[in-house]
Order: sequence, then C-alpha cells, then structure tokens
Amino acid sequence: VAAVAERGLWAYCVARASDPLPEPLPGVDPEYATARVEHGPLAALVSEVALDEYGEEALRRNLNDFAWLERVARAHEGVLERALEDATLVPLRLCTIFADEAGVRAMLSAREADLGAALETLTGREEWTVKLLVDREALKAAAGAEAPGGDPAAEAGSGAAYMLGRRRERELRERAAELAAGLAGEVHERLRAGAVAAVIGRPQNRELSGHAGDMLLNAAYLVERDEVESLRERVAALEAAHRALGVRLELRGPLPPYNFVPQEGA
Amino acid sequence: VSEELVHQDVALVDLIDRLLGSGVVIAGDITLSVAGIDLVYVGLRALVSSVATAEQKAIAR
Repeated sequence: VAAVAERGLWAYCVARASDPLPEPLPGVDPEYATARVEHGPLAALVSEVALDEYGEEALRRNLNDFAWLERVARAHEGVLERALEDATLVPLRLCTIFADEAGVRAMLSAREADLGAALETLTGREEWTVKLLVDREALKAAAGAEAPGGDPAAEAGSGAAYMLGRRRERELRERAAELAAGLAGEVHERLRAGAVAAVIGRPQNRELSGHAGDMLLNAAYLVERDEVESLRERVAALEAAHRALGVRLELRGPLPPYNFVPQEGA
Repeated sequence: VSEELVHQDVALVDLIDRLLGSGVVIAGDITLSVAGIDLVYVGLRALVSSVATAEQKAIAR
C-alpha cells in the first residue's frame, strides 16, 4: 500500500480565521486544491504537493528550472490575488512547506503574536507599486537646456576646446543625474505623503526586465483603501507634470502585501 | 537561469523578486531549509537587481 506518493502542505498565506478564504482552487500542484487549516484566531491557506516534486531535494533542482519556477510563482500569486479579494492576508514566501496539518497548526500557534500584529497593520489597507520610468534622451536634453549655454572659448586652441567640451559633457551628465534624482525624490515624496508606509526597492536592470527608458524609482506603498483613488490621481498628476521628460509611472495593485509584512522570521 | 530570465517580461521578474525576496519567512517543516532557498535566490537576485546607481543612492538617502 506504499504506492501513494508522499505529500506535504504548501502554505500560501495566513489570515484571520474569521475572514472568508476562497472556495477550493487548483493549487501550485494542480493535482490538489486549496484548503484552510485553522488554529485559534488564525487560518492558513494551503494545498497538498507531491514531495517527489516539491520535497527539499526536488526543490533545489526545480527552483533552477525557470519554466518550473514561473509556473509555480504564477500559481502561488494567483491563489493569493484571489484570496486578497475577500480577506486581509499575510503572504508567505514561496516554498513554505509543511509535513502535515499538525505542522501548520504548530506554526500558527508559535507565530500567533507576530502574524496577528501583521494582520492588524494590514487591515483595510492595500499594497500598490509604482515604477518611475524616464526617457534618457529627454532627460539629457532637459539638462542641456538648463545648463549655461554657449561656448565663449570656441575660438580657442583645439586642446582647450577639447577640454572644455569634456568638462561640459561631464557637467551635462551630472545635471541629468541631479534631475533624475530630483524627479524620483519628488515622486516618492508625493506618493508617500498619501500612504501609511512606503518601501523603496531596487530599480530593475533594464536588460533583464525589458522596460523602456531608465527606471528611476521602484517603490511600494501601503495605502488606506479609501485613499486608493487619491493615489491614482497623484500618479496621473505627476505623470502629466513631467510629460516633457518622457516620464511614465506604472501603478499596480492591489497586490498581496509582500512589502509590508515582517521580513525577519523564525 | 540567467539566459532564460533575460527574455522574460518585467511582470514576471517583478513577481519572482517579490515572492522569493520578501514576505514572512517561516521555516516549513518539510523543510526546505531557508538556507536552501537562499542559495538559489542569491543567484537569481543578482540578475533581478541592477547595481545601485548614483541616482538611486540619492533617492534612498
């Protein structure tokens, strides 16, 4: 009777036991549907996974298989986004896997205080992310327009003219960098002012993410639900105000609040 | 991972960065040890992030 593959429980998030969690959905392992495991005031959303694919050894291999990682990441996120529609939740990092329900309950018991506090912080609030992108050429052109113009020493010897050109080029670059920093600072300050909390992430590598333009800001904001409309308006106003620089602001949300939960764990 | 990743869309890079780089870390008892995940993630993270530029440092100040 040992033919059944061993299984574990993949955990997606923790919510209050009193909040509704979605009806069973296909889990990261599509063979199994999501279910809830409760303990005291908390509930975890979980689904079974076959350990020959999701066990420790298999994961070391599979996490390096990009197609596998993509499928699992999208499935995990899909479940979270569905759950987020009806509940306040604390999202868990990808690949949080337990042996059985008793293991999940033990975790809910051990972490009851900090998970409860995290849920308190998140109640009635949403995570939104903003990426600020500018057109590099437009930024350089703006820097040039502001810099002291003309070149009085144009008639000077070629050596001097060369040095002057080099200096001017450097000044232009510095001015463009200042403009970029000022712009990112302004956008972040304006958006942070309407948020409960804010986190600045690392701007993404252009070659990797394929976005057009230079990413000057990659930030996440935790906003009260009734402030979301105001956030949209601020974003639209900032984009309009800096259209000449080819500024684009990409606003996304509400997202599972990965940026606003305790980052240190047991 | 790297060459495949380069061709993925921004949303996916973003998603993986979020799901592996943040969120509450709870050691599951199966346990993919947290250290195991981190080893995989270090390589990924190097790809996902760009080196901070002068502008970014200025923002973070």
